[in-house]
Amino acid sequence: MRFWQILIDGFAISALYALGATGFTLIFGVSGVLNLAHGAIMVGAAVAAFAATAEFHLDPYTSALIGVATGLVLAYATYYIAVRPIQRSRAIAEAEKEIFILTSTLLWGIIIQEAIAYLFTNNAKTVVPLVEGVITVLGVRTPANEYFTAFVCWIAIGLLWLVVNKTRRGKAVRAASMNPRGVTMVGIELSTIHLAVWTVYGLLAGIAGILLGMFLGVSSYSVGPLTASAFSIVVLGGLGSVSGSLAAAFVVGYLETLTAYLISPAYRTIPSLLLLVIVMYVRPSGLFGRRTA
Amino acid sequence: MKRLLHSRGFVVALVVLVLGACLPLVSSSGYILGLLTVAFYTAVFAMAWDLLFGFAGEVNFGPTFLIGVGAYTAGILDARFAPEISIWICVIAGAAAAVVGGVVLALPALRVRGPYFGLTTLVAVLMLQNFVVVFADLTGGEIGLSVPDVLSVKASVNYWIAFGFMTISGAILFGLSRSPIGLVLQASGQDPVQAGALGFNVAKHKLAAFIVSAFFSGLAGSLMTFYMGTLSVGTFVDLAVGVQIIIAAVLGGRRTVIGAAIGAIFLIGAGELLRPLGELATLIVSVFALAVILFFPEGFLGMLRGRMRRA
Amino acid sequence: MAELATIAPMLEVSKLTKRFGGLVAVKDLSFSIRPGEILGLIGPNGSGKSTAMKSIMGVERPTSGSVRLDGEEIAGLPSHKIARLGIGLVFQHSRPLNRQTVLENIKVALIPDRLTQVFAGRELDDRAREVATRVGLAHVVDRRPPTLPFADLRRLELAKAVARHPRVVLVDEPFAGLTASEVATFSELIHGFRAEGRAVLLVDHNVKSVSALVDRVLAMYLGERIAEGSAAEVMANETVRRVYLGGALARVARAQTAGDRPCALEVDRVSVRYGKALALDDVSLTVGEGEFVSLVGLNGAGKTTLFNAISGLVPYSGSLRFCGEALASKTAAAIARGGVVQCPETRELFGDMSVRENLDLGGYALSDAEREERCTWLFDLFPILRDRQAQIARTLSGGEQQMLAIARALMMKPKLLMLDEPTLGLAPVILETLSKALEKLRATTSISVLLAEQNVTFALPHADRVYVIDHARLVWEGPPDRFESEAAAAYL
Repeated sequence: MRFWQILIDGFAISALYALGATGFTLIFGVSGVLNLAHGAIMVGAAVAAFAATAEFHLDPYTSALIGVATGLVLAYATYYIAVRPIQRSRAIAEAEKEIFILTSTLLWGIIIQEAIAYLFTNNAKTVVPLVEGVITVLGVRTPANEYFTAFVCWIAIGLLWLVVNKTRRGKAVRAASMNPRGVTMVGIELSTIHLAVWTVYGLLAGIAGILLGMFLGVSSYSVGPLTASAFSIVVLGGLGSVSGSLAAAFVVGYLETLTAYLISPAYRTIPSLLLLVIVMYVRPSGLFGRRTA
Repeated sequence: MKRLLHSRGFVVALVVLVLGACLPLVSSSGYILGLLTVAFYTAVFAMAWDLLFGFAGEVNFGPTFLIGVGAYTAGILDARFAPEISIWICVIAGAAAAVVGGVVLALPALRVRGPYFGLTTLVAVLMLQNFVVVFADLTGGEIGLSVPDVLSVKASVNYWIAFGFMTISGAILFGLSRSPIGLVLQASGQDPVQAGALGFNVAKHKLAAFIVSAFFSGLAGSLMTFYMGTLSVGTFVDLAVGVQIIIAAVLGGRRTVIGAAIGAIFLIGAGELLRPLGELATLIVSVFALAVILFFPEGFLGMLRGRMRRA
Repeated sequence: MAELATIAPMLEVSKLTKRFGGLVAVKDLSFSIRPGEILGLIGPNGSGKSTAMKSIMGVERPTSGSVRLDGEEIAGLPSHKIARLGIGLVFQHSRPLNRQTVLENIKVALIPDRLTQVFAGRELDDRAREVATRVGLAHVVDRRPPTLPFADLRRLELAKAVARHPRVVLVDEPFAGLTASEVATFSELIHGFRAEGRAVLLVDHNVKSVSALVDRVLAMYLGERIAEGSAAEVMANETVRRVYLGGALARVARAQTAGDRPCALEVDRVSVRYGKALALDDVSLTVGEGEFVSLVGLNGAGKTTLFNAISGLVPYSGSLRFCGEALASKTAAAIARGGVVQCPETRELFGDMSVRENLDLGGYALSDAEREERCTWLFDLFPILRDRQAQIARTLSGGEQQMLAIARALMMKPKLLMLDEPTLGLAPVILETLSKALEKLRATTSISVLLAEQNVTFALPHADRVYVIDHARLVWEGPPDRFESEAAAAYL
């Protein structure tokens, strides 16, 4: 009984983590950016959906769409405000650009977080779920919403995989993560690719955000831990490797669920952090990552 | 050396220091003195960070890890063992613990490249945060820990302790940065291969830089604990606090050491000025910090130096 | 020279081998240098000469073999220990501390490796000044590197390497980026080392540039020694000539090409600087529509730099026009889409994708039908690619990868195809296939070709015109049948 509960809960959480981590990895693989505003974008999307329902009394479907759109807008804002200016700057040495971008995305994330806290207070908000009711499987009662979450996540990941591996534009993106210079030489503008990648990222983060809002609820305090878990997963799986992120998401998701059920919810994050520390010492490039340059 | 002592910058610094030391004689406002005390400790945090990043080229994204280790060690020891242990033993223990933490952090740093080290430091802060929260009976968890002893109850004494500490630390760190060791650190940070070919054991020097940075961070953290009388995750082991320290160093000008101190004092002051705005304060400071990064990456002293060069 | 032979060698390298995973970069290399001797280690890109130098210095750890300094074994030691034992390395790229003066930069080289070195004595200052005077920097000791010209930055690198009077000096590409007169001054400095009794190893791309300076030359190719002797002996050596020139030059009769074609590449007085190093100096050339032009030159001469300037990948001064339109205002990708397609030396394939996927990306802008048609045409040109359609690019052999790179470039419907050293590292059999493919291309299409090559035997047969580039400058232009009589002698 317990076993199935853990299995299902773990699956849903992992799927959510996987969706968030995939977007995070995609941005790193193609743009070379570790976006520390990730959590803020997710929470921003969720809060926008909440506000659409609570303040403007829109129906759940429209609110969800608004949430995803907000995720997209925030992602673009991150790229144009915090990332691109530094990438193009002449005043900063190449070797230092990475830390500057890390700092600027972190700052931008804090700005979004504080804006959310100011406009909507720190209290947790939930987004109205699109699917109501409870489903009983093998004697386990689970909110239908949880199944919905896992379902949507996997559809999104599946679609992403299809696009990146089977469509022409998707392949161009994959090629850019392998060899940006090569992409330029075949006449494809890298700036278009970057735009495409941030668009996909915004959609993924937006969807992950509103699903999280429906499933567990969010508040401005969620921002930090969300970013932290996303990059822990991505580092664990290997920076730049999407399959690595997916695998690591499951490892972390189940570790957390098991710990929450079997030991205590307060210690949820400890085992995965310990695992991360071990991996960083033993194999810093992660389980599937590319070798460090 | 002689050139330094006669330079304009030195004279200005001396004047400012003298004025600073005299402040409590002129003002008895606990508010201002307290604010500056915190600013001075933050200045040491920022200077220690600058030595590591600006010189050894290592991106420490979680300076609050080292600070937190120092602060919590000192605080827990005092909370548990006072009055048998003198407050100063706790402080020294805090600094020592931070040095150990620095060595632990340095080990992967000397092996990995690129963003991985920065990530390691970020993870270290998270680990510490979780550790503090989980072992709440030892550390006071999210609520915080109160320490029975304080350095002094008088605002002016606290001010002078902090001021003296900042001045001495600043002198040492600045001196190091200008010394031959500082040159070697810079060369190691910029091009470790060339530094090796010039005959320098880069790993040894970087480890030394870590230890020095950790020592001052931990020491400052411990002293600040005994100034404030309490410590919690939010004051010492937060990512946002870490970012503030980095911003202070960038704002003042990387690789100047003194700039980091100026940046820290400015930031603390600005944060305080904006306090009436309530929640918007952090927002505004963050916006300002982002603007600095985007438009003035050279920082205050960096720009000044550039202008002087061109003159 | 007789006395020299009886002196014990200062640096003795025996069977030095360096492996990177499966790749053998240096294989069983042996040589020795006596004090007061200058040895030139020559080889094209990928020959292993830089790896050999780094292995001696300890920057890379040798896989096996021995390196002895004055009889003492140093192989496997970390670089800082080797440096302290008496070897100095002058790096190819200047990396000074920009915020410190020249004097302070030199002082760094003199500081002992002790953590307690907090104060610098007067003595350090004096010694640094002495070194500065030795290399000719006395007049700029108080200036900072950003204000200095390129040649002085190179002198600074020299100063740092010899500050502690090393017994052996390793110099990586001594003359890269220098003008002709600067080369003369530098040669004198290096001669000075010899006079001081140091053993000197010069690593460079071509024999000619160091021939006046060296006592002996050792030529390398694909990690192994292929010739050793005096500069003249090595330049005349059969294997060396084959590797560099591609063998005996066949006389080729060429039909005269028709006149006036409108769509041409016009390169007009183009110069490129990397930082302060001069990589391309006032180069002017043209490629007419449908013409096949070969640009011949050794590694480091500037061929790749020219291509990168045309492709919009590096900033340049001067004017570049194609089909009457200036290229300066276009992005690199736009230039490629506009018909000027480069097939770079590094090939830049998408390693984890299949052959077919790489080709499809080349045909990104085409309609599905066009892409299919073009692919079929390319499979006829390079049949082996059809067989290996589904194979992952990274796993192809060198020759197959080169063919894929050219095919991908052709997918883009280029008007001008620029090929950068397609024969580098390929076996002769593959060269045959490539040559035939190029011939077919010439016969069946009106694509203009600009071929940059070191291998003259490959480059000449197809060419309508030939340019020779050396040390960033064009030194000869003419039809291929006049090449042997006029340019070949000076080439190697």
